Amino acid sequence: MDSNKKYWKGLEELNNTPEFVEKNKNEFAEPIPIEDLLSGSGLSAKTPRRDFLKALGFGVGAVTLAACQKVPVHKSIPYLIKPEEVTPGVANYYSSTYEGQAILVKTREGRPIKVEGNPNDFFTKGGLSAQGQASVLDLYDANRTQDPKIDGGDAAWPEVDAFVLRELAAVAASGKAIRIVTSTVNSPSTLAVIAEFTAKYPTTKYINYDAVSYTGIIQANQNSFGKAVLPHYNFDKADVIVSFGADFLGTWISPEEFTRQYVSNRNSKSLESKKMSRHIQFEAGMSITGTNADNRYPVKPSEEGIALLSLYNAIAGTSLAGSKKVSNKAVDNAITLAATELKAAKGKALVVAGSNDVATQTLVNAINSLLGSYGNTIDLDNPSKQYAGNDQDFAAFVSELAKGTVGAVLFLNANPAYDYFKAKEFADALKKVRLKISFSDHADETSLLSNVVAPNHHYLESWGDSNAVEGYYTVVQPTINPVYNTRQAEHSLLIWAESATKDYYTFVRNTWNTSLLPKGGLSGQKGWEEVLQKGFVKVAPAAAGSYTFSHDLNAVAQTILDHGNSLVSGDNFELQVYQSVGMGDGKRANNPWLQEMPDPVSKVTWDNYAAMSIADIKKLKYEEGDVIKIEANGYTVELPVLAQPGQAQGTISIAVGYGRTSAGLVGNNVGKNAFPFYSYRNGTLQTTASISKFGKTGMISTLAQTQTHHSYEGRSVIREASFTEYKKNPAAGSGKEGEHKDYNKESLWDDHDRPVYDWVMAIDLNACTGCGACIVACSAENNIPVVGKDEVKRRREMHWIRIDRYYSYNDHGNSEEAVTKEDAIAKLDNFDNVSVVHQPMLCQHCDHAPCETVCPVLATVHSSEGLNQMAYNRCVGTRYCANNCPYKVRRFNWFNYWNDSRFDNYLNNEHTQLVLNPDVTTRFRGVMEKCSMCVQRIQAGKLQAKIEKRPLKDGEVKMACQQTCSANAIVFGNKNDPNSEVSKALASERTYYVLEELNVQPGIGYQVKVRNLSETEA
Amino acid sequence: MRSFSLIFKQFSRSVLLIVGFAFWGFSAVYAQTDAAKGEAIFKSKCTACHKIDQVLTGPALGPQLTEETDDKYLIKWIQNNQALIAAKNPKALAIFNKFEQKGMTTFTDLSDADVGNVITYIRADWKQIQDDKAKGPVGGTTVAEDKGPSELAVAGLIGVVILAFIIILVLNKATGSLEKILANNKDIVIVEEEQVVTVDKKAELLKKILKNKKLVFFILVCGTIAMGSWGWVTLWNTNVHTGYQPVQPIKYSHELHAGTMKIDCQYCHSGAYKSKNASIPSLNVCMNCHKVVKTESPEIHKIYDALGYDPKTQKYDSTAAKPIQWVRVHNLPDLAYFNHSQHVKVAGIKCQACHGPIQTMKEVYQYSPLTMKWCIQCHKRTEVNGKGNAYYDSILAAHDKIKKGEKVTAAVLGGIECGKCHY
Repeated sequence: MDSNKKYWKGLEELNNTPEFVEKNKNEFAEPIPIEDLLSGSGLSAKTPRRDFLKALGFGVGAVTLAACQKVPVHKSIPYLIKPEEVTPGVANYYSSTYEGQAILVKTREGRPIKVEGNPNDFFTKGGLSAQGQASVLDLYDANRTQDPKIDGGDAAWPEVDAFVLRELAAVAASGKAIRIVTSTVNSPSTLAVIAEFTAKYPTTKYINYDAVSYTGIIQANQNSFGKAVLPHYNFDKADVIVSFGADFLGTWISPEEFTRQYVSNRNSKSLESKKMSRHIQFEAGMSITGTNADNRYPVKPSEEGIALLSLYNAIAGTSLAGSKKVSNKAVDNAITLAATELKAAKGKALVVAGSNDVATQTLVNAINSLLGSYGNTIDLDNPSKQYAGNDQDFAAFVSELAKGTVGAVLFLNANPAYDYFKAKEFADALKKVRLKISFSDHADETSLLSNVVAPNHHYLESWGDSNAVEGYYTVVQPTINPVYNTRQAEHSLLIWAESATKDYYTFVRNTWNTSLLPKGGLSGQKGWEEVLQKGFVKVAPAAAGSYTFSHDLNAVAQTILDHGNSLVSGDNFELQVYQSVGMGDGKRANNPWLQEMPDPVSKVTWDNYAAMSIADIKKLKYEEGDVIKIEANGYTVELPVLAQPGQAQGTISIAVGYGRTSAGLVGNNVGKNAFPFYSYRNGTLQTTASISKFGKTGMISTLAQTQTHHSYEGRSVIREASFTEYKKNPAAGSGKEGEHKDYNKESLWDDHDRPVYDWVMAIDLNACTGCGACIVACSAENNIPVVGKDEVKRRREMHWIRIDRYYSYNDHGNSEEAVTKEDAIAKLDNFDNVSVVHQPMLCQHCDHAPCETVCPVLATVHSSEGLNQMAYNRCVGTRYCANNCPYKVRRFNWFNYWNDSRFDNYLNNEHTQLVLNPDVTTRFRGVMEKCSMCVQRIQAGKLQAKIEKRPLKDGEVKMACQQTCSANAIVFGNKNDPNSEVSKALASERTYYVLEELNVQPGIGYQVKVRNLSETEA
Repeated sequence: MRSFSLIFKQFSRSVLLIVGFAFWGFSAVYAQTDAAKGEAIFKSKCTACHKIDQVLTGPALGPQLTEETDDKYLIKWIQNNQALIAAKNPKALAIFNKFEQKGMTTFTDLSDADVGNVITYIRADWKQIQDDKAKGPVGGTTVAEDKGPSELAVAGLIGVVILAFIIILVLNKATGSLEKILANNKDIVIVEEEQVVTVDKKAELLKKILKNKKLVFFILVCGTIAMGSWGWVTLWNTNVHTGYQPVQPIKYSHELHAGTMKIDCQYCHSGAYKSKNASIPSLNVCMNCHKVVKTESPEIHKIYDALGYDPKTQKYDSTAAKPIQWVRVHNLPDLAYFNHSQHVKVAGIKCQACHGPIQTMKEVYQYSPLTMKWCIQCHKRTEVNGKGNAYYDSILAAHDKIKKGEKVTAAVLGGIECGKCHY
């Protein structure tokens, strides 16, 4: 029985707007002018014989001349003295650290080309975020600062050192303060360097400043339990998770780790043991976490506090002074329900909130304390050190600047001139400082205000260490010589501190020898080498103690209510400022891979936007793409409107991380800066505001949104079931329950022999969170070009793997049945309650591939290993295959992206081309391409086994997308081996094949999405 | 008398024999101190660490043995230096410490006479070297003179050609103007008539030929076939560079190294067994031998220059180093993936199968066409070498089920599928 529930990717698809229907009829967004030629004067017009001959002659002559060139002479330059461990053509892997997470760096001939998670990493066990995957490209960024600078002019390092030492001496003599501003530093060695610097210049203080800070949580823990720490959360131990605006699968604290933990209670293994966690999300804008929630409720920022208070009251059975009910009845019901479920799951429950407000977080602490979360789902004794920023410190620092008591400031990995909410005030105050030093490796907004720029190494060029969570020490080791004339910031600091150890490597070694190696029971050179190989030292965690909250909450409640009230004034809209998954706080804005990665929820690339609810858009008669002017907290911004299903009515959400003015040629002026919408309240920065004014500007800016670029013409491709249904029948929703039609009984095609290997894939829709790390990993592995905003608008993005995000109506909370029929949809205009499914879509490697039968030149053929292969140099670009592909996964090279000045800023320049994978061809203009199932990895794996004279092991070959997935949603392997992981996964009752009714026999099986809906509402 | 003569004969024979023996013995003794014999021993045992005029791993032996005149000590040292050091001989300790206590190989198998020969040879050779040095500058000028004429000759030749060209031009002009003058003087009409007549004759012949339709047809067919086949062959061979033999920056001879010396290919091209690239050896591989072998050769000095190596001081100066730019002979297009280790290590194919008789090549040329047809032909013919390789056990078994009795070639295992090489 197939479900006839309606899924849609975008409103244009849902409403079947004429433009959408028209666009979808065509294979390409812009029609090929062949029609004009045929219908208009094209054929009937007479071409004079002489003109024809002239054109012919010119054409033949031009082609001949172009072909008449000497065969280029290729030079082959061997090493002078080859390092023993390097063999040209064989990749070396080095362990290192990306933002506290242990990673492996793949290098070829001495240049890093890919970053992978370390399979033993504490956080992700081998997964890596999209940003982590993209970080390798930053190394080759042509817009990096290539030389140190004094007052904007290039200088040599000795000059810089002499200048800085002279200036620092002068500042020290004057007795003025010295400040080091950094984003959170958790490296033991860097902290020791700062301590050395402070010892030399005693007026030094170092300030942790995070653009997106978690001061609220840290401060609340100080107030509640006397521990000013960011706790370590255990989502894997939580059976019931309630989140108030915390995007813990996308951007909140440690999203990759939380994804792994969260999915471990929802994946196939967990389902088979009849266990699935329950997740309820209350939030204003639709976040990636919201899309994964079993139940999601839109709540205005001003009501979030009220909702939390209601939850506290419902759990504690009290009524705090001033508490009231949430205006939305459905939300109020949901809170009552959540309270019941949380109480039932005491000790296995977790409540989190994304707010940076101390009072709100204190209330969350109280709730968690009632639920017995401390010691179980929340660990205060092995705290996270990922964010230690203190908003108060930085505010105090800015006022110090204004007073003129600061003589020198050093900025390390901090860019307050862009991401501080009062950037102008900060910049003005900074002028009073005598010596301003920036370690930024880009000419960013802050370094433009500095007199000295001492560019830091990229992390892949650096030595160092990291301690992102208590007891977990990772090592950073360089994998390449510095690409530009940069110097590690710590090295500079040691020189300026006139330390006894000036070499930072020696310094790091000393730190490890004296304090870190012994923690892992290691010592000496051997111990150090072991750490370099393994990547980390993990100390057994301290026992997580249980903490009880015992403070009066009435004052807290009052603060929360006041805060909520401050956001409400009349019928004003409320503003929520959030981080997008791709861009985060904007530090990596110059990374084209991240800019082109579609946002997991909105599928918008190369832009930020004002997300509004569909009801509001209809009411205000806006159209998507209309540029509106939004004013809040005295700051105005103009952004295009995006119609976002699930957005709370009366709210607008805007992502930070965009609108950089000095990020580099890729990131400059992409979107608008939303940081100035922040406000400073009760010692922390607030991400919500009341919009004082907004309205149309009359301009239109089309968003480069990929959501409906590849249409299935309304065919059903998503299958889902509720957990209750699943428990009754594991095959629920898969189409296999009851009478299953065998689509493959009769076939026009001959079967292919696959005697040894049958490479297939299984994708668990219940594990995939839609984060998009696989997209970037695939781009890095397979040399996929970046095409830019204009080309994306023309539907010419080149990603081999995309994540389709489907909305469906979902009317829980009301007594009506779930909306399934088309006619019922038409009557509805409530887009508040939508549920979302993410579906990674890539070449399905069909056994009866429709693309193969239509290729006139046999450029795409089937292999004896079940792969659908694409021979680029055979392809003549008819594009019939793309037309005939039911999954729309084939991509056409409209340009020679690797040798075309239009794409210089992205990947096509001599530096960024160093990131290319030498085992994969770069494709030329005019050919088709698509997912090759990382055939280069399959071949390499087989070869390794042959050389070692042993059979290929299951799991030895991993796809790039699979490897980076923290949720382990993708399993790849040999279907001919009945014991392989993938065979087992595909044998699951939940497995279904997309469009199997077409009898194309896809090689990728999907597992039904299961939603743990409450019994009372399902 | 007869008996006397007999006795005399016997006597004389024995005397002759004795004299002969004595002479043989004497000559043998003389041979033992022969420098030539010393040279043979020196070359086989000493050159790995020593040179006569230069410090290598060990001291420069020429000056060393000229200074040290105590042959007994020298013989002892050469035969067993460790014993001398252990006995704390001051001279021995001094030299031992001078050379970073590296110690020298012991040669207890060499007799005193052998060592004596070596010493004799070294002293003689050192003297010769010093004598040569005194004459040094003369040799230098002769070399310069040798080079001079060749360049001069080339320049001269070019000059002659240009001169000839100019002369021809001038003569042409001169004859032209002379003809004009002649024409002015002579009766013009007659000359012109004569010319017209000849043109008419030629035209008539052409007309006749053109009228012969069979001949025209035959010529046309021949022409078409010739042009067609030429075009066909040319097009098929576009970018096929069989026989490509570029001039390399160093005159390295595979004939000498792989042929005469029989050095294993893998010694230099170690990547072929581990990697997709066979890899051109880095210069430190060359230096394994050429630190001592043929150090005078100007070609070897190119290696030294590239490394920034000074053979006199034996020091490397990395700032003076500049890599050698070899010209790639085998250029597979980027769109084809080829892995050496698959073919060499796994399949056990000889290098010569693709690279041809490399051991006879003074300068490497491309032996195989490196076309896809060539690849596929081999994949279709070559039986898979799965013996003793556990990887192939299950695979060959699976395929045997399908292809009973037939030989399992690379093609049968999917070796001619696009995705094997194109990705």
